[in-house]
Amino acid sequence: MKNFFAKNGPIISTYFLIAIGFWIIFLIIIPQLYMLDLSFRPNLPPLLRGGEEDVYTLTHYKHFLFGSETSKDAYNYVDLKVFFTTLATAVVITVLSLCFCYPIAFYIAKIAEHKTARLLIVSLIVPFWINELLRAFALRILFAGEGVINNALINAGLMDNAINFIGQDVALFTGLTYAYLLLMMFPLYNSLESLDTNQLEAAKDLGSSTIRTHWRVVIPHAKAGIASGSTMVFMLTAGALATPVVLSSPNTFWFTQLIYQWFNMNDNWSRGAAYSVLLLLVSVIFVLLMMKLFRVKVGEIVK
Amino acid sequence: MKSQPALKLLLGTYIFVFLAYLFGPLIIMSITAFNSAEFPAVTPWECFSWRWFTEGKVTYDGQRLAGLLADTKLHDGILTSLRIALGVVVLSVPIGMAAAIVLTQVNSKIRTFFYSVAIMPVLFPGVVIGISTVVLWDRIASMTGGGAMADIGRNGVFLTILAQTCFISTYCFLIFVARLQRFDKTQEEAALDLGASQTQVFFKILMPYLMPAIASSAVIAFLYSFENYNTTVFSILSDQTLTTVIASKVRLGISPAISALALVIIAITLTAAISYEVLKRRAERRLAKIKQTQLHQAMPSDRLMKNQKTSFRLPKSMFLILLVCFGVVAGGNYLVSNNLYGQQCIVAADEAKKSNFADQLKLLQQNVETEATTTPQSGPATGSQGFNNIFGDPNLFKNFGGFDSDAKK
Repeated sequence: MKNFFAKNGPIISTYFLIAIGFWIIFLIIIPQLYMLDLSFRPNLPPLLRGGEEDVYTLTHYKHFLFGSETSKDAYNYVDLKVFFTTLATAVVITVLSLCFCYPIAFYIAKIAEHKTARLLIVSLIVPFWINELLRAFALRILFAGEGVINNALINAGLMDNAINFIGQDVALFTGLTYAYLLLMMFPLYNSLESLDTNQLEAAKDLGSSTIRTHWRVVIPHAKAGIASGSTMVFMLTAGALATPVVLSSPNTFWFTQLIYQWFNMNDNWSRGAAYSVLLLLVSVIFVLLMMKLFRVKVGEIVK
Repeated sequence: MKSQPALKLLLGTYIFVFLAYLFGPLIIMSITAFNSAEFPAVTPWECFSWRWFTEGKVTYDGQRLAGLLADTKLHDGILTSLRIALGVVVLSVPIGMAAAIVLTQVNSKIRTFFYSVAIMPVLFPGVVIGISTVVLWDRIASMTGGGAMADIGRNGVFLTILAQTCFISTYCFLIFVARLQRFDKTQEEAALDLGASQTQVFFKILMPYLMPAIASSAVIAFLYSFENYNTTVFSILSDQTLTTVIASKVRLGISPAISALALVIIAITLTAAISYEVLKRRAERRLAKIKQTQLHQAMPSDRLMKNQKTSFRLPKSMFLILLVCFGVVAGGNYLVSNNLYGQQCIVAADEAKKSNFADQLKLLQQNVETEATTTPQSGPATGSQGFNNIFGDPNLFKNFGGFDSDAKK
């Protein structure tokens, strides 16, 4: 500590300490801890807070698992279904994004010439600077009942009645893939770019097929990028709110929408907090899983 | 790779499809911004108009769809978003810078831990950050029980700035870390040896070196803040930002005014991206030229001097520009020749819709009247006839098997 002050001088040291302390303690740690605390408390009107009824309880987590006490089902099928559908969809979208991005990232990093590569990168970035809501809206125009795709298909005489893309969640899944594709592309590209092209040539000279080269040389080299991209895509998809708000059908809920509902419409903050804690827990578990699976450090996932 | 033309073709097609998937929806959305119909569409094209950029439209059934210029809610939202974004930049750039500098000073054990904590917010879902900020500050506000603190704790703009700063600081932090990795520490030591104070070193050596990182992290912070929705929607409370305004508009029903807004944002983004690219290329070319002249000065031999007078070549981008121009001209020609442009067309379309609407209304009223007069007398009769018709239809049970085979016997 003394060393720290001696190194930076009193003014700068104070600035560092205040800035970092404010960030880590007030913005990162305390809010999360307080949310965790709130999730174990009953939903009380403000006047009763701190009173006799304000004790630690598991009601909200119980509600998530078993439903309200008045319902007859053994488990809270509605919420559980939303939860697991969200997670499963997020996993599927992550894998799809990886498959879509891999050829392009490889092309930009290893095959394309410098100029083409840069042009491609710029043209990949541009759509992603546009707000997520507006991109979802663009897909909504395409997929709506009287939308562009339905109109085009009907006019072409391929079908008679409009397909309900939004009701069937086609729109939602396309939109979510569309929204976070770039977050897979760039980590992948970065890790592939550092691959020595000589290795590819060596593999080829030694008689390895293209697929085998990718499987044994390129993918192991890119594992940090794959881990990083997968984590980002999964987290953002599972925690997405903007795209589901625009594109989900009235009878499908995304888990974040459920949280939103408890929080803003039903005014049950502590239950909303409990559900947020669950989402946070899933995120943490997923990151740890990726770290274990790909044997990378946290620092390699977020760059 | 070069020996496989089939694979190359496949890859080329794939890249084309990929880019079409990325840009197609945006292009179609941009086109719908110019269609005067109140549902954003391309195919039942009404008229070409700028109305969604200006005053919007009042539909025949009295619904008011505001255009960009007339939408005061949107303007308020943009102002709030700007205020929040400025606040976030002011907070998160210094925080990110401080954290990144301290990271270089601590020993390796603390460094790993510190780094993990610092990047955690990026791995939190946005909604969680928003919610945790709100519940904490609501608690603080109710504990202090009124007064200035309670006002601050329930101020949406303030809460949003804090919530966004939580994770945007991490992005700034990462930018500074990347820049600091290439910093030459001997500069600092030299300055200290020459008698500068630590504060002087910070302001005269470190800050100028970090200037590019400060600029780019400020831009990144601004953009992230401006387009954030997931966190903002919780922490903004009763206020509205640009993104929450858009979301509520989309939920209420989609209007081409949103397409118009998107087009404006796309235009700004494209201009920024293209000018950035052009500037970068120009700088690179200048650098190459300087190197060339330096080489020439070092070794004054004519062979090394590249022939400066290259023949005039048409840049490849020219073709793209020509293509776009051609598209615009063809589209404009189509619009003019089919009378799909201008006030006249819009008035005609509105009239048509109004009369259509009126016709439907009249038809509906007529139906009600005729039903009221006819049902009492002929109600049961038509009913039985209906039943007769149903069972009388010979095709109805054709695939059913039972009746048909009986009849045959």
